[in-house]
Amino acid sequence: MKPPSPLLSVERVSLSYGRFKAVREASFSLGAGEVLGLCGHNGAGKSSIVRMLSGLLRPDSGQIVLDGAPCAFRSVSDAQRQGVALVDQELSVIPALTVAENLALGEPGLGLRGTLPREEARRRLDAVGLDHLDPSRPLEDLSIGERQLVEIARAIGRDARLFILDEPTATLNTADIEHVFKAVRRIAAAGCGVIYVSHRLDEVLALCQQIVVMRDGAVIAEQRAEDLNAAKLVELMIGHAPKPVTKTARTADDGSRILEVSGLSTEPTVDDFNLAVRPGTVTAIAGQVGSGGSDVLRALAGLAPTAQGDVMVQGRRVPLGAPRRSISAGIGFLSADRKGEGLFLSRSISENLLATRLRALSPHAVLQGSRMRATARKIASRIGIDQNRLGEPVRRLSGGNQQKTFLGRCMERDDISVLMLDEPTRGVDVGGRADIHMLLRELASQGVAVIFASSDLEEVLSLADDVVVMRAGRIVSNVPVAETDNVRLLSDMTHARLSEQVA
Amino acid sequence: MRDFTALTVAGRHRRLRKALPLGILAAIAMLALSLPVWSDVGFSVFSFFNTFQNAATLGLLALAVGLTVMIGEFDLSSIAIFTLGGLLAVKFGEASPMSGIAIAVAAGALLGAVQGGLLVLTGISSVPLTLGGYIVILGLCHIVAGEGILAYGNYDIGIWLDDPVALLFSKRSLLILAVFLLLWLAMRFTRLGSTIRSVGADRRAALASGVSVSRTVAGVFILSGMLCALGGALFSYSASVAKYDLGLDPFIFAVTAVLLGGINVSGGRGNVLGILAGVVAMSLLDTIFIQLAMPTYLIDLARGALLLIVVLIEAPDLARSLTAWKAGRIGAAQAKGRDHSKPLANSGTG
Repeated sequence: MKPPSPLLSVERVSLSYGRFKAVREASFSLGAGEVLGLCGHNGAGKSSIVRMLSGLLRPDSGQIVLDGAPCAFRSVSDAQRQGVALVDQELSVIPALTVAENLALGEPGLGLRGTLPREEARRRLDAVGLDHLDPSRPLEDLSIGERQLVEIARAIGRDARLFILDEPTATLNTADIEHVFKAVRRIAAAGCGVIYVSHRLDEVLALCQQIVVMRDGAVIAEQRAEDLNAAKLVELMIGHAPKPVTKTARTADDGSRILEVSGLSTEPTVDDFNLAVRPGTVTAIAGQVGSGGSDVLRALAGLAPTAQGDVMVQGRRVPLGAPRRSISAGIGFLSADRKGEGLFLSRSISENLLATRLRALSPHAVLQGSRMRATARKIASRIGIDQNRLGEPVRRLSGGNQQKTFLGRCMERDDISVLMLDEPTRGVDVGGRADIHMLLRELASQGVAVIFASSDLEEVLSLADDVVVMRAGRIVSNVPVAETDNVRLLSDMTHARLSEQVA
Repeated sequence: MRDFTALTVAGRHRRLRKALPLGILAAIAMLALSLPVWSDVGFSVFSFFNTFQNAATLGLLALAVGLTVMIGEFDLSSIAIFTLGGLLAVKFGEASPMSGIAIAVAAGALLGAVQGGLLVLTGISSVPLTLGGYIVILGLCHIVAGEGILAYGNYDIGIWLDDPVALLFSKRSLLILAVFLLLWLAMRFTRLGSTIRSVGADRRAALASGVSVSRTVAGVFILSGMLCALGGALFSYSASVAKYDLGLDPFIFAVTAVLLGGINVSGGRGNVLGILAGVVAMSLLDTIFIQLAMPTYLIDLARGALLLIVVLIEAPDLARSLTAWKAGRIGAAQAKGRDHSKPLANSGTG
């Protein structure tokens, strides 16, 4: 019997950006009712594949066959008309519009109407667990996670045959992720195909039937998910087994404190946060999205005008609410939103690496070109960015390399004694993640106190020396990493009684 | 989990943006009505009629500018299209006013299409592009006007357009109000509003959502050109004359009205009724100054001050800075108090 023809075939597709070959003769297929995981190192070509399948880019050669018919998408709306729905890696909803308007935005077949019928909007929101949400609410009132769910609801509600979800759960908590999984399974059960792109390998293994692994623009493997495990997948993605992060031996507490925080509150999220950090250590503030870790870091970076409390860095009091004061006290901060609050996407990698040290590179207010180039090259080699690409705009880099560039800003600097990172490896693949962890450990070994907020248990346990768990804006526990495990962490993050919290 | 900070700040800004245009209009109306109390002039029904006439003259120009600002662009050529519309209507509409208007509006649409098309194709900024457009169209105005001023012999149409209706309005002002209402309805109840605002707020996100960004940008420029030309044509018929250069005053009026109307300069926010409120507020202010026989420089001073005040009230960074300053003062005072009583506790937890 002839096997059923696949819903989607990607046949020897190639794509170049200038001289850089992003995708090389990639081929794979997806059956109806199947969920296909697309995995790969940063820069492996996943995003380029997604962009071609969703009409944002056209392949240089090869073809895309949907339901047996070759397709040449002219635009996103053209791809939509032909049955493709996309949840982009970056949030693609409009804060200035209401939830209902966002659900209807770009929806084909609505005619002149600006919103969906109320019942339809309700049905789509219910499908992703937003059953409490009023469709007439402005989107800007929602958290980032809820906005992401609205975008997913918009995509899965469309009359499409192929759904592409690119890093859909990067900003979601465990409960929200479960809603997304249910929705994806429902779509697949209805006979549609789903391409699921994620750096969270446990998600890919749990959800997908078929997994395609890409490396350096080529498809390295196309296998059934049941034949793979996380370790095998990692090896396929990076070409070798990842090196474990080496932690420096825990030294005896000599009582020295580089950062002391007392009674920190940021209305109305964080309440009475206390912390003392030793130099040369890595501290994780673990918690679900919205638990308050990000707010603590933002307050310490001077980005929360209403924050109150006492903060001391190296024994000197730091006033809150003024980013310049925090910077001059030696606090470095990397936001979770590297595109909105960090990188200058249209500027070169070199300019981005040097943006925060221009004063040091211009002793008499004149920029020293040769010193700048040398510094940029030095940082690039330390963070593992190809020196030949230093002149390229940052937006051309993969997510992981963008994050490394962002981190590179705080490398090779003597003026940072406390480095804070909000979700340091969000949207970064396993290889890039290991590199970033290694760089952070390296900084710690040089005496810098590294503090990061993360909702990723694995990251917290593998990188941190000490773990502070937060929930609903309050500290639930604060222990050395050796005294906790993922079960206790998850329990503290999700349902431990707040009365158990640390005073 | 909810992000309550976002709710508070975003909600407060939204309410402020919504209330401000009407608040300004109400404040200026109160000022007008209180004229007899603190000056020796009154504010009659005729003064209101004049206000609406003034609003009718520059309303469509402001609407056109506001729409382009909403999609995140800025059309400097709009005043030139307004002028050209008036000239074409006068030149070709003497025998048939409707033909004059049709020719003017078609020319406005064509110029909007050319500029919008170039914007989409080249991706360059609208400021240099429409500055070039402004200069070129002014040149065209000179060619059309010839001697400099075109007189319109069909006085009847001007009289008919400005004939009072219900004491406060004229057919011209009602027509302009109808255009505003129509566009408001279209933006409120069709996908036009959300499409325009999404393109102005975030083009990448709009594109990824399936919105045809190019078509929207080009379409808004065409609509803007048509509105400018229609406004210019009606104004010329009313004045029975068309000049080849109206200067920049009408454009400054329009931009100020747009900003007072709550349109965000970076695009994506605002609505048509806000622009109308801004136009009527500015016109009312002008009428008050005329009643008081104030010199032009004082009028400019007052307009500029009003705009600055509104922009400052809306400025998010000002509110943030004030809050930070206040919190800093409170924090410093509390810290000082604690310093006197006890040292900072070593606050290791767990």
